[in-house]
Amino acid sequence: MPDEEVALQEKTTEKKTKRRPRGEVRLFGKWCKGCGLCIAFCPQGVFEANGEGRPVVAHPEKCTACDWCVVHCPDFAIQVRRLDDQEGKG
Amino acid sequence: MHTELREKHEIYDYLRHSKKFPVMWCAGCGIGIVLGAIIRAIDRMGLDRDRVAMVSGIGCTGRMPVYVDFNTMHTTHGRALAFATGLKLARPDMYVLVVMGDGDALAIGGNHFIHAARRNMDLTAIVVNNNIYGMTGGQYSPTTPLHMRATTAPYGNIEPPFPLCELAKAAGASFVARSTVYHATELDRLIEQAIARRGFSVVEAVSYCHTTYGRLNRLGAAVDMMRWLKENSVTLAQAEKMSPEERETKIVRGILLDREGPGYVDLYDEIIRQAKAAENG
Ligand SMILES: Cc1ncc(C[n+]2csc(CCOP(=O)(O)OP(=O)(O)O)c2C)c(N)n1
Ligand code: SF4
Ligand code: SF4
Ligand code: SF4
Repeated sequence: MPDEEVALQEKTTEKKTKRRPRGEVRLFGKWCKGCGLCIAFCPQGVFEANGEGRPVVAHPEKCTACDWCVVHCPDFAIQVRRLDDQEGKG
Repeated sequence: MHTELREKHEIYDYLRHSKKFPVMWCAGCGIGIVLGAIIRAIDRMGLDRDRVAMVSGIGCTGRMPVYVDFNTMHTTHGRALAFATGLKLARPDMYVLVVMGDGDALAIGGNHFIHAARRNMDLTAIVVNNNIYGMTGGQYSPTTPLHMRATTAPYGNIEPPFPLCELAKAAGASFVARSTVYHATELDRLIEQAIARRGFSVVEAVSYCHTTYGRLNRLGAAVDMMRWLKENSVTLAQAEKMSPEERETKIVRGILLDREGPGYVDLYDEIIRQAKAAENG
């Protein structure tokens, strides 16, 4: 088996056994300008646009605390707190 | 005070909460992302913020120092590097960061830029390249690509752009790197290395101005321009495998130059030492 495949297989087994990290997303509406970057790029689709095109945290349970939205929100309007295993349950 | 926010996120610790928020930049503008990257770099390095100075000229990028709790100087258009040079020589113990737009750095400030590089002045220059004069409404700048439109080039720009990083390398800088606002965490690591390096360091942060350049060239909204950066940039390693023609069309990310050696301040200190020794006997 080529090295890459071994690595890939190891990764998937790791995924199965390890719990995915979870995050708690908070949007600071007063600073959000509704640019849509977080909606378009969150890899888990946590955000959805409301009628005015502004983000709402529509699927909080999907957040993996990857921090993409935190480092890319040009208005510092998003915080994500990484939940520990206990908090992440359920 | 936005105490609710400050508890949780290092960025809020560095913002000047006496200023008006949200920031003045257009919705989705990449300048805020670069500001975040700078703050993360400084926070990670654990620098004493009283020994950090952020200097700027005029422009949308030039507004950056207004929002941060460092020592800040908001100077005149194109002259940020000149003010920063004075500051650095008076206070060599300070970490002096200079944030500039492409017009600020390379049009009116082009002369200061090449000479700061030639002197290998111990400054960290962060150029937010959005290919246009953002603040004044979209006039072409020395980094506007050929044939692209600006308010001052309604039929397309006929002036070839300066390759910012190549210019810095050729003029004598110690450290030259490039990334984009899509690659925001890469950007903060490059800024960290730029601050740590002696001599003149340049980081080109490729961004976009969707409200002028984007609108005039029908490139879409912030989301579209962000996606373009994602899809049209490559790492140095990827670029090396490309033909020169293909590479031309890409934004190449990474450290383009990193040379060790003394910066201007080291040589200046040595002169002071020698002069003192001569005077004393
Ligand atoms: C001496 C002087 N000349 C011209 C101006 C007008 N002016 C203000 S900002 C600017 C250019 C802004 O473009 P850039 O430096 O690329 O920054 P951006 O706004 O795109 O971040 C110009 C020409 C000025 N303020 N001072
Ligand atoms: S990226 Fe920030 S400013 Fe833009 S829509 Fe999301 S929360 Fe609002
Ligand atoms: S941290 Fe990542 S997964 Fe969670 S909301 Fe932000 S972008 Fe989405
Ligand atoms: S004019 Fe352009 S560069 Fe200036 S804040 Fe708006 S989008 Fe950003």
